Amino acid sequence: MQRLAEIGISDTELAAARAGDGAARRALFDRVAPGAFAFIRRLVRHQAMAEDLLQDTLIAMFEHLQDFRGEAPFGIWVRRIAVSRCLMAFRSPWHRARQALDSWIEDGQASSAAEGRTADLIDLDRALARLSPVTRTVVWLYDVEGWTHEEIAHAFERTVSFSKSQLARGHARLRSELVAPMTASLSVPLGSELDGQ
Amino acid sequence: MDSDDNRDLQLVARLRQLDASGAATPPSFGYDRMLERHAAAGERARRRRMLARGTASALVVGLIGVSLWRVEVGDPPSLPETTESAAGVAAPAEPRIVRADTYFALAALEDRIATVDDALSMARTYSPRGAEVARLERTRAELLDSYAQVRYAELVSANY
Repeated sequence: MQRLAEIGISDTELAAARAGDGAARRALFDRVAPGAFAFIRRLVRHQAMAEDLLQDTLIAMFEHLQDFRGEAPFGIWVRRIAVSRCLMAFRSPWHRARQALDSWIEDGQASSAAEGRTADLIDLDRALARLSPVTRTVVWLYDVEGWTHEEIAHAFERTVSFSKSQLARGHARLRSELVAPMTASLSVPLGSELDGQ
Repeated sequence: MDSDDNRDLQLVARLRQLDASGAATPPSFGYDRMLERHAAAGERARRRRMLARGTASALVVGLIGVSLWRVEVGDPPSLPETTESAAGVAAPAEPRIVRADTYFALAALEDRIATVDDALSMARTYSPRGAEVARLERTRAELLDSYAQVRYAELVSANY
């Protein structure tokens, strides 16, 4: 699967899609949707919510095709739309309520796409899933997508120090989460439930 | 510090490895289904907007009805008398007149306050500490109080 940021589009494909050609639009959907969904799933744990955001992103992409000026690769332009949609969703009260529900089912989701991965990567995936959406987004955008702190701050409409502090917090949390499973299991005293009886 | 930096670098390398390993699940819908979902979402949003508008309209009508029902409809304030005497500008027996159409009430109160001000000014000139001045000041305070209440009622009904 091609990474979203690496997806390009030719002038003829773009012109056809802009003109509303159904086949061109369908082809564009088929090329962009998997990468866009994989990217959104990195930021949003909840499958149904990620699908809603994918739909919003792709509809916005089709509606604003006229605004794409080709200054950056097409996938990067789509990724910016996706980030903006995700951040809008994070800000909504509905999302916060849903987050509380998600905490009940967090581990199963992170491992759902874990086939073919090492245990190490599965742990990392789970640790990443346990971060707050905002922290996870900052970590992913900075560490994997290569955004700068200035770009992240601009997307979040916050300061550069907000981005830096979220990143530092995310790294610290990931490090502790990756060490924690072993130490946590060792630190629980056996038979502690019987103490005092 | 260096060890933290090293661990961060390792973490970043592992995150990129995780990204590269991405056996991501594809979305559960295709292009046609996306358009259907979008149309359905638009229809839901349109219904929500209509419901919200209907509720808001009903609320506004209800609040106006309630506010009109609660208002004490009294006699409209009489126009200020133009007599020069202080007795002529005395406040009516029930100065707290509130009615739905506040324009005339406010205009009448303003006129009456202006008349009292004139009379007060004259009375102060002739007898600064006289009983007439005290009475006129009391009257003026009552008129101002009524004026404030009517303006408040007007604002409340406008906001509803």
